Amino acid sequence: MTAVVADPEAEQTPAPLLSRALPVVMRWVGTLAVALVVFSVLLLLKGASPVTAYTGIWESTFLRSRSLQEIVVQMTPLVLGALAVAVPARAGLTNVGGEGQIIMGGVGACGAFLFVGETAAPGLLLVAMLVSAMVAGAVWAGIAAAMRLVAGVNEAISTLLLNFVALDVLLFLIYQPWRESPVGQPATVELVDAAKLPFVAATRINVGIVLALVLAVVVYLALSRTRWGYKISVAGGNAEAARRAGLNVRLLVLSALMIGGALAGIAGMIQFAGVEYKLRPSFGYQLGYTSFLACWLARHQPFPILVAAFVFAALSVSGDSLQLDAGVPAASIHVLTAFILIAVLGFTASRRKAAA
Amino acid sequence: MSLVVDVLSGGVSGGTSIMYAGVGETVSERAGVINLGTEGSMLVGALGAYAAGVETGNPWIGVLAGATAGGALALVHGYLVVRRGASQFASGLSLLFLALGLTSLFGAPYVGQPVVGFDTWEVPLLSDLPVLGPVLFQHDPLLYLGYLVVPLVWVVLFKTRVGLLGRTAGERADSLTVHGYSVHAIRIGAVTAGGVLAGMGGAHLATAYANAWFENMVAGRGFIAVALVIFATWSPWRVLGGAYLFGCAIALGPALQARAFEINQFLLDAVPFVLTLAVLTILGKRTLSASPAELKRVFENAPPSG
Repeated sequence: MTAVVADPEAEQTPAPLLSRALPVVMRWVGTLAVALVVFSVLLLLKGASPVTAYTGIWESTFLRSRSLQEIVVQMTPLVLGALAVAVPARAGLTNVGGEGQIIMGGVGACGAFLFVGETAAPGLLLVAMLVSAMVAGAVWAGIAAAMRLVAGVNEAISTLLLNFVALDVLLFLIYQPWRESPVGQPATVELVDAAKLPFVAATRINVGIVLALVLAVVVYLALSRTRWGYKISVAGGNAEAARRAGLNVRLLVLSALMIGGALAGIAGMIQFAGVEYKLRPSFGYQLGYTSFLACWLARHQPFPILVAAFVFAALSVSGDSLQLDAGVPAASIHVLTAFILIAVLGFTASRRKAAA
Repeated sequence: MSLVVDVLSGGVSGGTSIMYAGVGETVSERAGVINLGTEGSMLVGALGAYAAGVETGNPWIGVLAGATAGGALALVHGYLVVRRGASQFASGLSLLFLALGLTSLFGAPYVGQPVVGFDTWEVPLLSDLPVLGPVLFQHDPLLYLGYLVVPLVWVVLFKTRVGLLGRTAGERADSLTVHGYSVHAIRIGAVTAGGVLAGMGGAHLATAYANAWFENMVAGRGFIAVALVIFATWSPWRVLGGAYLFGCAIALGPALQARAFEINQFLLDAVPFVLTLAVLTILGKRTLSASPAELKRVFENAPPSG
């Protein structure tokens, strides 16, 4: 938790920046190289050529405009989902509930759409869906916050459990009350055009990414430049000291977790109104867990989260090229994702930090 | 009457994989390490058992392979969190993704392949008992082995020196260091043992319960096991009861639907989780005080000692 509370290195003399940064960079490059090599060995075991696989991934993922757009689309909910982990983390809270909060965001947005109806003014409809999604996400995280404040239940446990309740709520709704028709695939009715997020210029990228980038800046400013951001980091560092200093720790815990939930709710709304247009049983699948890991990869810092979300989205998109070029299942890309995570989690922190 | 028997019997057979994984997670958490990768250990255990079963035709070799695979994955988790100081939540989830990827990469050829799984073996005499017979004694051998696992783990944890060392690693790691034991080695051992049991749970799922392999077949049971350990406040006996209780909740929906009752399955699926949340809220701070002290430090984001 050292990285969250304070960055002791930042207060030291900044002079030999390059010489300090170089070993860190080398460690990152080294661990990532190992991850790629191990994955190559696995591909060889499966009789696929790693060279073909990697060049295939490179060409069809990064050299094609459509793939690049797809990466941006997929990184949007990850950015927001990771911010939903980062804000509570600043207050010393572990929010493993992004998965459920994203689902509830989608459910909230869909509920608003069904309630307000397609006749409403287009702008009003989108705003209603966004607000409803934020409230739904915040309430879902608020349950965990309330359980912590009233009964002392740890939020890492309760948010994790609430993920499964959220999934069951989603399935309940799309299998019965909100089901489009009793025959065929269980799904809600498709959004009307006015309820879909518009695209940026002439691309297939929905405007959600703009909102995500703006919110990353807002979260950065709120955490580092406001009294509230300072207070939650004090409460997260030492709750007892914060209490003695007269801070309302309970309110800070509640607000940090609920704001996290609201951010995840927005992620759900964007995934729903910008990508999927219907709630299906697979809605938001693993977005929350991926976001949680993206946040760890970025060490809970808002701007690095943008990079981590891009990396995860790129890996996810390249899974499809892997299937086409190397003939192995798309989900195999999870192996590479996991190797990168293991490498970074286990082998990029300095020895001293690892021992702490 | 037959509905009750169906649900209870289904609860026992469906709950067994959760029970194996839950008991394993209990061992791990008693030593101070929470493993969200339990779901992953079950997945590689399921594929390992299924693949070995297909290749050798012997389901017991399959169980061995599944247990090995589950243990190996947990060993990585143990190494990362104990030796490298990685976040327990992040490491566990990373290993879940590793398991999803590996089983998708190596499992594709086994989808739809027939396997020699475990057959039902009715226990002589006992299976003729009314109600208890069909509920408890008309199942597969791997499920019966599960009846022995809980008492065995309880004895090891609470009546042997190894168990004492493991529990001390979860309660007062410093005192182990003082007496010259390696907290690291003990914790890694406990996490690995937990993974072995989760792998056996996966094996039961693939070669006894479903007799099939498909991608992501564990479908959240590993997470249910993690919830169950907390629900059971770290007692192996309550894990046993809870696993069958959760199994019954899952079995109730199909049993009712088979009798043409209109029931939405997903409300019943939510029962284990809502129940756990309710228990946590009612027990309140007592749950946390019942938790191993070192585990509490993990939850509270405090650096572990030892």
